[in-house]
Amino acid sequence: MKRLVAIVEDEPAIRDNYAAAFAREGYTVRTYGSRAQATTAFASRLPDLVVIDISLEDEPEGGFELCRQLRSLSAELPIIFLTARDTELDAVSGLRLGADDFLTKDLSLAHLIARVNALFRRVDALRKPHEASQVVKRGPLTLDSERMQVEWEGQVVLLSLTEFWIVFALARHPGHVKNRQQLMDAANVVLDDNTITSHIKRIRRKFQAIDPKFDAVQTVYGMGYRWVD
Amino acid sequence: MSLRLKLLLLGLATLVLPWEGTRYAREMESALREGEQDSLGAVAQSIASSLQGRTDLLYRDADAPATLGPFDLQPLVLTTQPFLDGYPDEWPQDKAAWRYYDNGSKEGFGIVTGVFERMLFVLLDVRDEKVVFDAVGSNPLDSATLGDRIWLGFRGPDGLEHQVFLSATGAGALTARRIETGELHQQTAVVEPRINGALQPSPNGYRVELRIPLSMINDRFGVLIDDRDKQGALATSYGMLSTEDLHTQGNLVAASPNLTGYLAQFLQPGLRLSVAAPNGRALAQADALAQATDLGPGPGILARLYRRFVDDPRAHRTIDAAAPIYDRKHEASIGELRVTQIGNRWLTLRDRALTRMLNITLITTIVAVILMFVFAARLALRLSRLRSASESALTREGLITTFPETSSPDELGDVARGFSTLLGRLNEYTGYLRTLAGKLAHEIRTPLTIVRSSLENLESEGGVAESAHVYLDRARQGSERLNAILVAMGAATRVEEAIASAERTRFDIVAVVASAVGSYGNAFPQRHFVADLPPEPIEIEGAPDLIVQMLDKLVDNAVDFSPAGATVTVRLHAEPHAVLVGVENPGPPLAPWIRGRLFESLWQSRTDRDSRPHFGLGLYIVRLIAEFHGGTASAANLPGDAGVSFVVRLARSAS
Repeated sequence: MKRLVAIVEDEPAIRDNYAAAFAREGYTVRTYGSRAQATTAFASRLPDLVVIDISLEDEPEGGFELCRQLRSLSAELPIIFLTARDTELDAVSGLRLGADDFLTKDLSLAHLIARVNALFRRVDALRKPHEASQVVKRGPLTLDSERMQVEWEGQVVLLSLTEFWIVFALARHPGHVKNRQQLMDAANVVLDDNTITSHIKRIRRKFQAIDPKFDAVQTVYGMGYRWVD
Repeated sequence: MSLRLKLLLLGLATLVLPWEGTRYAREMESALREGEQDSLGAVAQSIASSLQGRTDLLYRDADAPATLGPFDLQPLVLTTQPFLDGYPDEWPQDKAAWRYYDNGSKEGFGIVTGVFERMLFVLLDVRDEKVVFDAVGSNPLDSATLGDRIWLGFRGPDGLEHQVFLSATGAGALTARRIETGELHQQTAVVEPRINGALQPSPNGYRVELRIPLSMINDRFGVLIDDRDKQGALATSYGMLSTEDLHTQGNLVAASPNLTGYLAQFLQPGLRLSVAAPNGRALAQADALAQATDLGPGPGILARLYRRFVDDPRAHRTIDAAAPIYDRKHEASIGELRVTQIGNRWLTLRDRALTRMLNITLITTIVAVILMFVFAARLALRLSRLRSASESALTREGLITTFPETSSPDELGDVARGFSTLLGRLNEYTGYLRTLAGKLAHEIRTPLTIVRSSLENLESEGGVAESAHVYLDRARQGSERLNAILVAMGAATRVEEAIASAERTRFDIVAVVASAVGSYGNAFPQRHFVADLPPEPIEIEGAPDLIVQMLDKLVDNAVDFSPAGATVTVRLHAEPHAVLVGVENPGPPLAPWIRGRLFESLWQSRTDRDSRPHFGLGLYIVRLIAEFHGGTASAANLPGDAGVSFVVRLARSAS
C-alpha cells in the first residue's frame, strides 16, 4: 500500500512541484492550499506524513496551528515544516510543537525526499521489534540508527531529524572533528554557519536537560565540532 | 569666530552709548558756557552802566585827559606786593609800562609805577656814571656833603604841592625827608616815615624801589633826580618835576581810591572784576577768582577719571565778559569793565551729569555684555547639546527617545523638533532599509523555490533533449547563485539574532583565536597566516562562536584585499582593561573618507566583481560582534600605506 503524503502549501507552483516529486518516488500525494481544506480532509483520514508551510494564505502562523491540531490527533505522525521563513524563533516554535523537522524552502527536492524516506524508515522501525545490531552504545550514549533515536543515560533525547543526523555524524567517530560541510552532508541539508551553530546549541541544550554536566559536543574553533566520550 | 565671541562684540557695541554721552556732555558744557557767558555779559553791562560818567570814581583826577601826557604816569595794577629791596624781581615784565627821562646827555632814568592795595610802588632804573652817596652822619641839608638826590613831587589831598627827597649813605634802605621851614626861615629835614624805599647799584647806575601811601597823593605825581658827580658838587636836575619850583607837571592816572571798594561790592567767590583805562591798562581790580565756589561735595575718583577723557585741554576753564564805561553823555569811553568768572559752576554741573550718565551707560554696557556672554554661552551649550544629540541620536538600535531641547518654546526648540522629526523619518527609512534585505530575501525565496523545484522535477522526469541539458545546468547554476545571494542578504539579520540569543561565558580568547587561525591555512591556501599571540591565556566574557565569526569576517576581508601569496597577520594584544584583536594585510590602503563608513551596514568599497555576492555586511557584522563584547572596531593604514590593519578592541573582564 502506497504511503500517503499530504502537502499543505498555499503557493500552487511549489505545491504541485513537490507533489510531482513525491509521486515520482511512489507516494500518494494529497495537496491542500489552506488550513481549512487540510483540516477537513484530515478529519476523515490522517495521512502518513505531512509537509506544512507555516504561513498559509491569510494566516501567517496557520501552519503552527495545523501542526498543533495534527499532534492532538496523532503523536506519531511525522510532520515536516517547510517554510520561506528561516528565523531562529520560527524554528524553535515549530520544533516545540512537535514537528519532526524544520526546513527552509531552499532545500533541494532530493534532500527533502531523503528526509521523507528517512522518517518513514523510522516509522517502520518503531513498529518492528528492537534490533540490537543497529544500536551503538558509547558510555551513557545510546544511538539507534534505525529508529533514529538517541538515549542519554537511558533517557530518550527528543531530537529533530536534522539534529539526529548531526549527533549521529559526530558520535559515530568520537574525537574526529567534523566540519560544517560534513555535518551538512550528513544531515542532508544546506545551512549557513549561524544555523549550524544554532543546531549545535539546541542539541547541547536537549542533552543538558537530562544531564546538566553534558559536555560531549565540543567546538573546535575555526574547524568544526567533535564528540568527546 | 564662535557664537560667544560674536555676541561679545555685539555687546561692545553698547559702548557707543557712553561715547555719545560724552559728546552730549561736551555740547551741554558749551551750552552752559554760552549761558554763563551771556549772564556774565549782562553783569558786566550792568556794572559798567552803574559806572557811567563816574570819572571821579575811576580816576584820581576827574578832569584827566583821555590820553597820557609826557609827564603823566599810569601805574600798573600789581597782583603781588613788591618787596622793597631795590631789585625788580617782583615786578611784571611790561616794557610798555616804562617811561624814560634824561638830562639831554648820557644820563637818565626809567620809571615804572604800580598800585597794590592802597600803596603806590615806584621802580626807578637810573643810568648814572657815578653814584654819589651822602656822607655818613652828615646833615642831609649840608650842601657840602650832598650826594645824588631823588625828589618826589605830588599834590596832596589838601590841593598843595608837596616835595620829599630821598637820600642814601650806601646801598640799602632809603630815607625820605621833607624840608620844613621854621618860623625863623630856618630849614630842617624832617623824616617822612610813610614813604619807604631801597637802593641797589646796577651795572649802569642804580635802582630804587619806593612805596608811598596813595592817601598822600591826590592826583599829580612826579620824580626828579639831582645828579651829582661828587659830594657837594653842582647838581644836574632832570625828570618830571619843574626844575624851578619842583612842582608836578604830570598826572597820576590811577584809579580813584574808592574804585576798588566800589568794585568789591559786586565781588563774589570765583569772580574777578577789573576796570581798565581806554588805553587798555588796568586801573583797578577786585579778585576773588581763586576762592572756591562751593557747589557741593568735590568730584569722586570716577568723576575725575571721566573728566580726563572728556576735557578738552585747550578749552579755557574761565569765561570773560567786557563792557565799555561811557562818559556822562554816552559819547566816549572812559574805561572798560572786565568780568572774569571761573568755570566751576558749569564744569561741576557738567561733571555731575557726565558722571551719572557715564556710570549708567557703563554699568548698562557691562551688564549687557555679561548678559550677552551668558546668553551666548547658554546658547552655545544648547547648540552643542543639540549637535551631539543629533550626531548620536540615530544608532543601530534606532532613535534614542530623549532628544534635547524639543520642549523649548524658542527657535532652538523648533530646530530640535525639526531634527527630531527628521531623525524619526530617517530612522523609519533606515529601519526599512535594514529590514529590506530580509524582506526581499523572504519574498524572493518563494519564486526561487518554484524555479528550483521545477528544474529538479524537469531533470528527474527526463525527456529533456541531450542538447538542452546545458541550458538546464545554466538555469540551475543561476538559481544557485540567486540562493547564495539570498543567504548573504540575510546574514546580518541572522547574526543579529545570534547575538540576541547568545550566551555569555568566560573563555580564553587566546586559545580560541589560535584554533581559528590554525584553520585559515586550509581555507585560504593562497595566503600565509601568522598569529602573533600572547603566551598566557586571556579570559574574557562573551560568545566564542561570535568571536570566531568576527575573526572569519576580518580574515575574509583581509584575504579579499590582499594579493595572492601575501601574509595575513592576526594579532592579539592584552591591555589592562581591553583585548585588542588585530588583522593586518598588505594591500591597497584605505582612502581617508571611507574609514568612518567601513563598519556601516550595506556599505562597501569593493569595485571588483567576483562570483560571490557582497552586500557590505562583513565588517558590519564585525562591528555588531565587537559591540556585543563591549568593544569597538576601527581600521587604519599600515605605516607607509603598505596595507591595512583592522583592530577590534574588546572589553576585558574585571577579574
